[in-house]
Amino acid sequence: MPDFSPWHDNSLTYSPPNSEPAPSRRISEDPEFHSLRRAQRRFGVRATLLSVGGFLLYALLSHSFPDLMNQRLAGNLTLGLALGLGQFVVMGVTAWCYVRYMRTRVDPLARGLASRLEQHEANSLRAAAPNGEAGQTFRPGSSRGFRTW
Amino acid sequence: MVTVSEGIVDRFSLNLTFVLFLSVVVVTLFMALLTAPQRDEISEFYLGNRTMSPLRNGLAMCGDYVSAATLLGSTGLVALTGYDGLLYLGGTVVAWMMVLLLVAEPLRRAGKYTLGDTLALRLTRLQRPARLALAVCTLAITTLYLVAQLVGSMALLTQFTGEPSAATRTLCVIVIGTIVIVYAAIGGAPGATVIQIIKAVMLIAGVTVTAVMVLHHYDWNPGALLSAAADHSGTGTQFLEPGLRYGVSTTSKLDFFSLELAIVLGLAALPHVLMRLLAPRKVDVLRSSLVWAVGLVGLVCLAAGILGLGATAVVGRETIAQTDHKGDSAVLLLANALGGGILTALLSCLAFVTLLAVAAGLTLAAASSLAHDLYGEVIRKGRASETEELMVARLSAAVIGVLAMMLALISWGANTATLAFLAFAIAASAILPTIVYTLFWRRFTGEGALLSLWGGLVCSVLLVLFSPVVSSTPGSFYPDADFAWFPLQNPGIVSIPAGFLLGWLGTVLSERQGAKGDAAYAEFEVRMLVGAKE
Repeated sequence: MPDFSPWHDNSLTYSPPNSEPAPSRRISEDPEFHSLRRAQRRFGVRATLLSVGGFLLYALLSHSFPDLMNQRLAGNLTLGLALGLGQFVVMGVTAWCYVRYMRTRVDPLARGLASRLEQHEANSLRAAAPNGEAGQTFRPGSSRGFRTW
Repeated sequence: MVTVSEGIVDRFSLNLTFVLFLSVVVVTLFMALLTAPQRDEISEFYLGNRTMSPLRNGLAMCGDYVSAATLLGSTGLVALTGYDGLLYLGGTVVAWMMVLLLVAEPLRRAGKYTLGDTLALRLTRLQRPARLALAVCTLAITTLYLVAQLVGSMALLTQFTGEPSAATRTLCVIVIGTIVIVYAAIGGAPGATVIQIIKAVMLIAGVTVTAVMVLHHYDWNPGALLSAAADHSGTGTQFLEPGLRYGVSTTSKLDFFSLELAIVLGLAALPHVLMRLLAPRKVDVLRSSLVWAVGLVGLVCLAAGILGLGATAVVGRETIAQTDHKGDSAVLLLANALGGGILTALLSCLAFVTLLAVAAGLTLAAASSLAHDLYGEVIRKGRASETEELMVARLSAAVIGVLAMMLALISWGANTATLAFLAFAIAASAILPTIVYTLFWRRFTGEGALLSLWGGLVCSVLLVLFSPVVSSTPGSFYPDADFAWFPLQNPGIVSIPAGFLLGWLGTVLSERQGAKGDAAYAEFEVRMLVGAKE
């Protein structure tokens, strides 16, 4: 086993492919992969807790503390009704934050790892090939190559 | 209750509805046949066009997600119970956030055609029993929901013709059921998508226009709408406060929370919604589609809330409750009061098309689970050819359709909401734990999957069986018998934790999978986060 290096793609030519673990196995030990997993999971769990947990709490509060929820804010608009409308706002903001977070934090990491994974596979397919050819398998992900409608 | 037998809609609207519905059906059937899979490819039959734009995908998701129960039932609930009904609508929107934030992208990256494929990628042992359990759960959920849609179609007919005779009911169910089978069996996913998109556009346009008419009626002053609704509700300001429906006792409050839990967690795990997530080829297209769907579902639910309040404000709660004690007629009564016969006909046609589209999506999800998981992997052990599997998928669509038609005819008069709520509870307590553990828990084993799937299914069905839904109250299936030791109508609050607990228990009690299991999860995780080459 060669020592672990985060940049194995630059030093791959010396080892025969069969003694290597599967490419996905090595990617999963990569620190970048760990940070990708952490980034995606942390945001997902927090945002879910905020929006879904928040809603369930609101439903629970409505029936446990009706006096609090029935406080008039303006006219017939009670605190409960206002909070209910607020749920829609929270959801819109959460969805927007999610898209922005994924686009700036998660996608670049995932794209980098995907291209590295592809390179590994290409390299293990033709391990005897010269190093320069590996560069051709790299395809930068075209992130928004679709029509809106 | 006298007015029920007369029907609320006049002859003109009935004819107009019939003509409109027929033309929509003819156009969509024609389009479904045009877009139907030409080659015998299962990927095309299961997933449809995989390069659709985000807006179309979002419309299709919204179409799959919002059923006629939301359009008629939830607005009715708002009209009758005010605040509590609004909470119910809120749950419908929040459930979609679960899909967006936790489930959709990992599932899309790790999935193929059905949920069983994702599970099989992940598990090193017991793949076939797990697929079998998943297929049974999917079948239970889709059949219940499908029967709810078909019974709903008969109930909708009641609004026009009054209490329909047995022959009319049979005719209605057979016509709707046959159209659904044609969409699902011949059109496959492309056909179901066509009707889904058309229905979503009609639905969004219909409810938005009607909501705008309600707001215009009150000079764009929401406060005036609220006070008019409170005035005509017969309960005063209590209408705008929690507790009108579920605030009677601690049991009913618990019951309501149980229902909210099942809706928020269960809608996100309905098989036909999950299947729709696998369709887009690119993950960023899926993400934009989901955001479109968040907006569209939010818009529909907001408009439905306005419609419900408007129905009480314009028509009055008394009239709505007299026409139909469940409130399903609220939207149609409102349309009749605001826009006369034409608007009523448009909205009734919309309700029928909504029923049809959701039923087609459900039939397709059930058929693909039967053909792919049960026939392809469990019975033929992965040796079935694509043509063979496709044949089975088309056949099972027909079989499920016929089965649902017969069940719907038998259960005429059943409360459609109860059937739908049971489906949500099964989805939340059997399928959701399995998805969550599969995606996020390294140690999860086949035993855990089996235990959570079977346990969640059995637990929710048994609890409903021994609840007031089936016996002991005047509204239950067997009002004379009394074996209801479980006090709540909705099993979610017990069965959802039970499903999660059983999945955990099964995993902890089974032997550790060791290096092989770790390697399988490592590969799965890379696929889930980074994606696999298509």
